[in-house]
Amino acid sequence: MVMGAAKDIVEHAGVPRFLFSDFPLGNSGGRPHEPDTQRFTLDLALKVFESAPGPRTTVQSPLRWAEDGDWKLDYNNLARMSPQEVAERRAEFDKVKQVALKQRQAVGLSS
Amino acid sequence: MADSHHFAPEYDAPIEYMRRTREYYLALGYDNPYRWAHYVDAPFRPLGKPLKASTLVLITTAALYQPDKGDQGPGAPYNAAAKFYTVYSGDTSIDHDTRISHIGYDRKHTTATDSNTWFPLPLMREFAREGRFTLAKRFHGAPTNRSQRVTLETDAPEILARCRQDQVDAALLVPT
Repeated sequence: MVMGAAKDIVEHAGVPRFLFSDFPLGNSGGRPHEPDTQRFTLDLALKVFESAPGPRTTVQSPLRWAEDGDWKLDYNNLARMSPQEVAERRAEFDKVKQVALKQRQAVGLSS
Repeated sequence: MADSHHFAPEYDAPIEYMRRTREYYLALGYDNPYRWAHYVDAPFRPLGKPLKASTLVLITTAALYQPDKGDQGPGAPYNAAAKFYTVYSGDTSIDHDTRISHIGYDRKHTTATDSNTWFPLPLMREFAREGRFTLAKRFHGAPTNRSQRVTLETDAPEILARCRQDQVDAALLVPT
């Protein structure tokens, strides 16, 4: 059973049971500082666990992150970035990749 | 003609992360797009017994806080140094300080101030106390090191072995 927020990625892989929350990545378990929505989310996941009739069962939580869905247009969306921001992100990504490569080399996962 | 007056806006649908990510990295100059895991079949086994008689394990992609590995949040920029490369396990009867700075979560719309949104161990303990299921004595941390081979051939079998040691019946994966 997967509790997650990236619907296309999880369904592309294919899992037995999936509770999808249409929330920004990082919030698979409910909204921050809202024990009620967190409890609701886990409770729904358990219900999916018990009642899924077959593989690739996806249930979408009825909870909304915000009243409108504008936040969905932001994530890695080039249409909302200036050329300068794209350049900055590229420089940042090059740095991050170097760090990750060194780490993998240190633990013997990359040469 | 259909009256589409009350339909939700087109963009208000689950984000197409794969398409968005592919286009994003292409624009950044990387023309070797990531290939996400993809299977035609998905496994499925009905629960052999009611959940309340089953042992449930939590599997997370969150990392344990490592004080020597730089800013890990809340609100930290992406921190590849905080990644981990072998499966770890923790005692579910106590609390753990887990972070997600090593993962590409939505940093604009969430700042990782409440670990319950990515690591629901305290709530699972509560549900277990209420008799909804038995909580496995350990939870497990799955590395996210961008090597699908290592995930499939090393990490996943290791997690499965640990689950079997703990006589787990069912697993709740909470990826970030």
